[in-house]
Amino acid sequence: MQSLKPMGRKSISYAKYGYLFILPFFVIYAFFMIYPLINTFVLSFKGNGAAHAADSVGFQNFQWLIVGGSRPAKAIHDEFIQSLKNTVILWFGNFIPQLILSLLLAIWFTDSKVKIKGTGAFKVIMYMPNIITATSVCALFFILFANNKYGAVNAMLLGAGKITEPIRFVNNVWSSRFIVMFIQTWMWFGNTMILLMSGIMGIDLSLFEAANIDGANSSQVFFQITLPLLKPIFIYVLITSMIGGLQMYDVPYLFHEGNAVQTHLETAAVFVYKHFHLQDPNYGYSAAASVLLFFITGILGIIIYRFNNTSDERAAAKSNRKKSKNAKLLGGF
Amino acid sequence: MKNFNKKIALIAALACAGTMLAGCNSNTTDDGGNTGGGNAPAADGGNAGGGDSGNAGGGDAPAPAPAADLADDGDKLTILCWTGDDIDPMIDYFVANSDYTKDQVTWVQVGTSGGEAREQYQQYLSGGEDADLLILEADWILQYLNDQYTVPLSSLGIDKGDYSNAYSYTTAIGTDESGTLRAATWQCAPGGYAYRADLAEQYLGVTSPEEMQAKIGDWSKFEEAAKTVSEASGGKTAMAATLGGMWQVYQYNRSQPWVVNNKVVLDNAENFLDIAKTYRENNWVTDVGQWSDAWYAIGQDDSTMGYFFSTWCLGSGAMLSNAEGGEGGATYGKYNLCPGPSGYAWGGSWLAPSTKCNNKTMAADFVKMFTVNTDTMKGYALSKGEFVNNKAAMQAIVDEKSNSNPLLGGQDQFAVLMDSANAIKMDGLITKYDSAIKEQFNNAVTDYVDGKYATKEDALNGFQDAVAAIYPDFDWD
Repeated sequence: MQSLKPMGRKSISYAKYGYLFILPFFVIYAFFMIYPLINTFVLSFKGNGAAHAADSVGFQNFQWLIVGGSRPAKAIHDEFIQSLKNTVILWFGNFIPQLILSLLLAIWFTDSKVKIKGTGAFKVIMYMPNIITATSVCALFFILFANNKYGAVNAMLLGAGKITEPIRFVNNVWSSRFIVMFIQTWMWFGNTMILLMSGIMGIDLSLFEAANIDGANSSQVFFQITLPLLKPIFIYVLITSMIGGLQMYDVPYLFHEGNAVQTHLETAAVFVYKHFHLQDPNYGYSAAASVLLFFITGILGIIIYRFNNTSDERAAAKSNRKKSKNAKLLGGF
Repeated sequence: MKNFNKKIALIAALACAGTMLAGCNSNTTDDGGNTGGGNAPAADGGNAGGGDSGNAGGGDAPAPAPAADLADDGDKLTILCWTGDDIDPMIDYFVANSDYTKDQVTWVQVGTSGGEAREQYQQYLSGGEDADLLILEADWILQYLNDQYTVPLSSLGIDKGDYSNAYSYTTAIGTDESGTLRAATWQCAPGGYAYRADLAEQYLGVTSPEEMQAKIGDWSKFEEAAKTVSEASGGKTAMAATLGGMWQVYQYNRSQPWVVNNKVVLDNAENFLDIAKTYRENNWVTDVGQWSDAWYAIGQDDSTMGYFFSTWCLGSGAMLSNAEGGEGGATYGKYNLCPGPSGYAWGGSWLAPSTKCNNKTMAADFVKMFTVNTDTMKGYALSKGEFVNNKAAMQAIVDEKSNSNPLLGGQDQFAVLMDSANAIKMDGLITKYDSAIKEQFNNAVTDYVDGKYATKEDALNGFQDAVAAIYPDFDWD
């Protein structure tokens, strides 16, 4: 007993140092993350414009953003709803092609039957757009698709005689949305592909072998083995991309001529930025919109999570014991 | 264990969402760091806009602020600015014409555009670093004309009486609500129409700026000329470069300010929507955006007859020079200047002593050299091609015929713009809302011309909604 006591004390003092070492993280986290988070909630109940920045207005900001009312209330309501619509449109338009493309490539690159050479090089090349800053990518596409005859695409079309007047790619609603969706897809499919590849490579190879021996064709392997076992990674990709999509900011913000963001590209995050960077900032609107986004993100996160949970259990009940055990072991989510 | 893991995952996901909100508060200034500026000034102009007058309000004005007691033991004269375009030549001139040496004067870059400087000056001034003088832009100068950031010019021993030669609108803009003069400018910013002399001769048959002015002396004549040019050139040459430029000229001739009794007043803005649509549909104005790269390109390939340029566009190395492709460019020296369909002023920057000024004598010398002293201002006007804020100096230059601008084929832009400069009147026409409102109006014009608004009423409604969203306190009928 006597010999145990000093040992116990020794281990306690080690732990104390451990806490000291991790303390800086928590201090910085509290200062730069927790405090702004709380402050955002506080600001969402304050007034708009420098003259009213300190006034408490209760739930007025939320009421105006969600319901509307008088002319300024209706104006801000319309703008906010439009920004949510834009966010959803741009998110779907980049997420679905991105997912299809990266899933297809991930399967090809991991397929032991296809045996593509130089997958490493392909992976690097496809990941490359992601390491270029959004500003540069936007500048590039801006030059390619400029509104006037000096833009590369317009110049080519005019030169080939396909059009007589330059197309206003940047200003037209759908062409500019499409370009933004394309930029987002192009920038992020490499990233998603690598995530999905790591998921596929985590699947037990013996399952693929067994399927081959049983005579399953590629699509059967894909739908019966790869896809179900990939689900945990899939859900992860879905949640992170949903959060990323709701916060979509840089490309829609940058893609405009002149100095104002285009109304049909103004996403929710751009709305937040715009209103607190005015000459006479509307902190109330920005904070309230942030809080609403927070709840929307939270609710969608829970829905996706629940959906996964129940379908997981249903699947577990249906499929045979061994398979579902494997899925859980490999899931590790 | 499985459920526990999933809970952890959910918490992690929500924490990620949380950082989104955190980002809104702490990081976004960095995000914006590179976006707004670039090398192109904002659509309303790096030097843009009408600006704010302190005494627009009237009523019982508080008593003028007394002069502050400034220290005079500073190390270097430090000037805050966002671009070296103006300040570099000024410092060179200051050193060359005084006993000071170049290492005694420095400037600090704050932000990359006027808009960024507006946000970042506050931060800079709340820190411990030195700042003797601030460069302020007409659009947001009012924000800085108070005891928190600036001291009255009288603290430097300069008072209103020293500005008897200045154009009166410039002192009005530099005066705060209590009637205290806190900022002075070295430049006056009348604008004219810079046109291609060769194309004008070819399509309109004019051989001198006077004949050109007779052809485009008002808006209806301007439209006639646009029609003629378009027909003669087979639709290749547009009379005006951008709608943004035309708008600057047009809106200057408003008879009321943008906001009266807390209500937005459209005044002549409504007519501009029609003009914009007509000009664009007939290709009398090009489709390029103000300040873009293409904006400069059209100056060299016959796409446009001319630009509406303010004085600060006409100096060496400024916008006109870029539009000509620089020295040796395709249209170098082929431009001429005339006053255009109506006189106007466009933008400008002001100098104000900061509350942290600790080089009283040197700051006073600097401000005096560029805003008070007729001789040095005249010299600067000739060396930089700047229309300086001094009637006597400008008159002397015009009388002596000592200025010849190679960008304008040797023409003296000062002589052309003298009348416009004397006629600039902004009293009671400028409000602190102008820059935001004008930006929204420009958007409405672009969207109307692009066909996003079906009718003029829709465009006006869209514009008013956009203003209502930014300024919730305005009254609407």
